[in-house]
Amino acid sequence: MTGSWPVADLDAIARLRVLAAGVRGATVVERTIAAPGDVVWGTMADLEGGFGRFQPDMRHVVVESIDGDHIVALARSRFGMRARLRGVLRPGWCWLQSRFLLIGMAAVADGAGTRVALTGGLRVPGRAAVVPVGTRRELERALDRLSAEFPPPPFPPSPFPPSV
Amino acid sequence: MTAEDPADLVRAAQGGDTLAMHELLDRLAPYVARICGPIALASGADAAQETLVAVFTGLRGLREPATLYGWVRAIAVREAVRAARRDTRATPMAPGDLAALPAREDPELAADVWDVLARLHPEQRAVLVLRDLEDLDEQTAAALLNLPAGTVKSRLHRARRSFRRAWDR
Repeated sequence: MTGSWPVADLDAIARLRVLAAGVRGATVVERTIAAPGDVVWGTMADLEGGFGRFQPDMRHVVVESIDGDHIVALARSRFGMRARLRGVLRPGWCWLQSRFLLIGMAAVADGAGTRVALTGGLRVPGRAAVVPVGTRRELERALDRLSAEFPPPPFPPSPFPPSV
Repeated sequence: MTAEDPADLVRAAQGGDTLAMHELLDRLAPYVARICGPIALASGADAAQETLVAVFTGLRGLREPATLYGWVRAIAVREAVRAARRDTRATPMAPGDLAALPAREDPELAADVWDVLARLHPEQRAVLVLRDLEDLDEQTAAALLNLPAGTVKSRLHRARRSFRRAWDR
């Protein structure tokens, strides 16, 4: 048989929906950002920089080790709690867990913009579950802050004088 | 973790380890894509997502982790056939008629798989996938699809002969 059979590959956002489906209490928020994928993902995947600017609870993240696409990072929240995050970081894809935290991020090119998706939250210790209270609001806040990193370009000044 | 047995990954995932779930997704996504693509065609990605959502939602209830791939295969076929039926873009040739399946070695199937598949009914595509990609015998494939097992094999033999005659004409 030839190798030309159709294949139904999932993009990163579909993968995030799938994994979130297996996590009790998890919700996925999605939005399109008017900036190229490599630029948007450059901010999201910059765990020691851009990541902390849009994730509301992250004050400081230090990457401890990288082995291929497997990563270990030490995160400190704004409330002083620490978390050792372990997981996978790939272009357009990030999945990290600690005992008390779960973080999932995905991004795919969408025309001239980028479709992004977030999931995760406070993890029920040791379980595939997040505390559902307030999770969506926190994820939406993160998307608000991420979107604010890429403001739309201002309208060019009008060549006509303002009417009186 | 990459060398772990799938059954061990299932047990770890059932225990709440989301990194084990992640590793399972890495392994299962290509497998599901291979089943859903030829059956659901244009709705293949939707079917693959629905399959994997069902898999990860139901993973806690899988009592025999060793049966993972068979369980996933059954869900993938069911979701792919359902998606294909929903898809109004599909143009079924003869609904429910298995007598049109090309043989494994048929030159037309090798020449343009998509075109041949698009002329078949979703259940026919499913039998073809299970037989040619999954190497299941026709009776097992028919049972998985809730089709009458006793008649499938002979109908497939007739189909192969007629398909080949049509091709040679």
